[in-house]
Amino acid sequence: MKSNKSYSGVWIILVAAVVLEAISCIQYFYSRAGIRAEAEQRAQSELRRAELEINVVMVEMEAAVKMLAAEAEKHVDNPDSIAAATRMLLQTIGNVGSVGIACKEDLFPEKGHWYEICSSRQPDGSIYTRQIGGADHDYFKTEWYHNGLTFHGCKWSEPYMDRYGARTMVVSCTYPIHNKQGDVVAVACVDISLDYLHQVSEYLQIYKDSYYSIHSGKGLEIVSGADTVPGRKYQIYNEEIDKTGWKISIIIPEDVIFADLNRIGLIVGLLMIVGLALLLFIVWYAGNSNKRLILSIEKNQRMEGELHVASTMQMAMLPQVFPPFSDRPDLDVYGIVNPAKEVGGDLYDFFVRHDKLFFCVGDVSGKGVPAALMMAMTHSLFRNVTEHEENPAAIVSEMNKALTEQNSENMFLTLFLGVLDCKTGKLDYCNAGHNAPVLMADGQWRMADVVANLPLGIEADYAYKAQTTQMAYNDLLFLYTDGLTEAENVNHELYREQRMLQCLSAMTDSRPREVIERMQTSLDEFVNGAQQSDDLTMLAIRYQIPAIVMRNDIQQIPTLAEWIDGLGIPEELNMPINLALEEVVSNVMLYAYPNKNGQVFVEFAKLMALNSQPSTFVFTVTDSGVSFDPTQQAEADITSSAEERKIGGLGIHLVRQLMDEIHYRREEGKNILTLIKKL
Amino acid sequence: MTTHIQENDNQLIAKFSGRLDTAAAVQTAEDVKPLLEAADKEIILDCTDLEYISSSGLRIFLGVRKDAASHGSQVIVRNINADIRQVFMMTGFISLFEIQ
Repeated sequence: MKSNKSYSGVWIILVAAVVLEAISCIQYFYSRAGIRAEAEQRAQSELRRAELEINVVMVEMEAAVKMLAAEAEKHVDNPDSIAAATRMLLQTIGNVGSVGIACKEDLFPEKGHWYEICSSRQPDGSIYTRQIGGADHDYFKTEWYHNGLTFHGCKWSEPYMDRYGARTMVVSCTYPIHNKQGDVVAVACVDISLDYLHQVSEYLQIYKDSYYSIHSGKGLEIVSGADTVPGRKYQIYNEEIDKTGWKISIIIPEDVIFADLNRIGLIVGLLMIVGLALLLFIVWYAGNSNKRLILSIEKNQRMEGELHVASTMQMAMLPQVFPPFSDRPDLDVYGIVNPAKEVGGDLYDFFVRHDKLFFCVGDVSGKGVPAALMMAMTHSLFRNVTEHEENPAAIVSEMNKALTEQNSENMFLTLFLGVLDCKTGKLDYCNAGHNAPVLMADGQWRMADVVANLPLGIEADYAYKAQTTQMAYNDLLFLYTDGLTEAENVNHELYREQRMLQCLSAMTDSRPREVIERMQTSLDEFVNGAQQSDDLTMLAIRYQIPAIVMRNDIQQIPTLAEWIDGLGIPEELNMPINLALEEVVSNVMLYAYPNKNGQVFVEFAKLMALNSQPSTFVFTVTDSGVSFDPTQQAEADITSSAEERKIGGLGIHLVRQLMDEIHYRREEGKNILTLIKKL
Repeated sequence: MTTHIQENDNQLIAKFSGRLDTAAAVQTAEDVKPLLEAADKEIILDCTDLEYISSSGLRIFLGVRKDAASHGSQVIVRNINADIRQVFMMTGFISLFEIQ
């Protein structure tokens, strides 16, 4: 169990980790692609902007150089005017750092072999114009000069160090200056410092840690980026400026592009780890509490199981062998407990002591463990208290006291407890909130009269009231729990007392077992397979006619005496009744069955006086032999002398003498002789 | 039910013990036959241990009584209990026998 649990915990974590990781990876790679596309787009757009701006600068420079050239051409024969032109241009066009006009060798012999006029803007804004050509600045060898001479139009030079003009790294745009004859006599030159280019292209640094560079067509750095570091991956985006062949590059280290993503990835990763840790904790905790839950469930189940065993044992202690009293022909008792699925709290019990039948049917409120405990307790209390107490009210009161004192669960118990005096048929009972039993007397079923006593377990000192009724022979008492009347069918209809009474009313001559079995059948038909929700207990007690059946054999006579001894007839009546019955029975045996096969059936009943004492004893002797009415026999002669006496006729004479009444009837081929003896 | 017969010089004593009911009467009738053959002796029916008697038993007693009378003998019933005395009363047997 435990290892399974921790395995499943690990599995949960693993699966969660894999799922999260997969999600993160997918997200990461899609984000990466998106970010890369975005970076590229951004770079391209900045590159185009840079190209545009540089182009604007260049166009301005080219315009400036053309203007300068045009101005210079006007004064191509005057070196001072050329110098003035450079000065004027610088004044006119603000963003040019320095301009110059480099004349061909010996154009103005008076000025010498080299003549290059250069105007440059001073830091204070003033313009400084001077002739910078000379042996130390042999501009004839420079690229830009060569460009100016050879290209017909604007030409941009490679970057170079202008030590004489701007005194910084510059690129120069040159334009030829022609004389009136159309010959190139000088080169107009406008310089842009690389610093300026650098300034105008600053926005190319699209990431904080990205670089950009501008290279000339020959690969010289115009604007320098940072050196790349081996092993670091870079994304490089280029754009070429058509006019100059310059190449603008944006160089972004990949880790810079994906810095945000990586940072987010890191955060997500951390969150994931935290989440997984949390999940692990939850799983562990849940596992533990599950374990606790499982343990408690197991404990409950075990407890319930044990209680079920206890309950089964308890039920096994209830009388379950029927008929229960082989030596009590006057009592026929049958009972069942059908426990619902759960351990429940129904019970019945009965036993006979000193010719008294003690019985009870109870129903503990609720179900489960506490109910079963209370039921068990009630059962032992019933057995214990009845050992020294015979009054139902006293028994119930004592049981109630004990149950109330030990009742921590606020449970209660309804109970019907009765004590039937088998000798007299007097039934004392106490009904503690239980369903009123049904009594069958004289062929009529009716609810027994019950007063409203509190159920047990509520009030320790409650004074329970007992009641008394008289049971006559063949009366039947039917007890039950609400598992019967409140049984539900699938439509949630209750069985109810009406159906119970209806079922009972059809049984006026049934034995307890048959009554209960037919009731069960009726109930089963009613509920029609619905789940039994409550315990069902039924107990039926018949205070019945004791009877004896004898074979047509005179040697059976002694059993008659034994049977009569067990009827609880007052001592002084024992012999007369015994003798009268023997005379009648032996008469049947001797004369009723000429072919010797047959039976004699003797039934006993006693009638009670108003004081509940037996007053009249009634015996019915039935045989299926030849019709014979002993009451029609002539009175025996008991006065004549022995010599005159006839042997015979004494038996019927004795019966007449011994009994108060003798009635004969012939019914359905049977001789039925009723002997009545009054006390 | 047992019947034990004792013979003295001038007495035949039949000692009954148990219940003389219809079932027992068959055997008892056999057991008392010696009483019927013994003439001129006093017949004592000792009922000290006789618990119960039915009409079948009474018939046996009556048979003994009749036979004795024909031989001129006397039958004495000794030590009957209350129940049997009641039966003797009801049947008039109390006047047929000498009860001791």
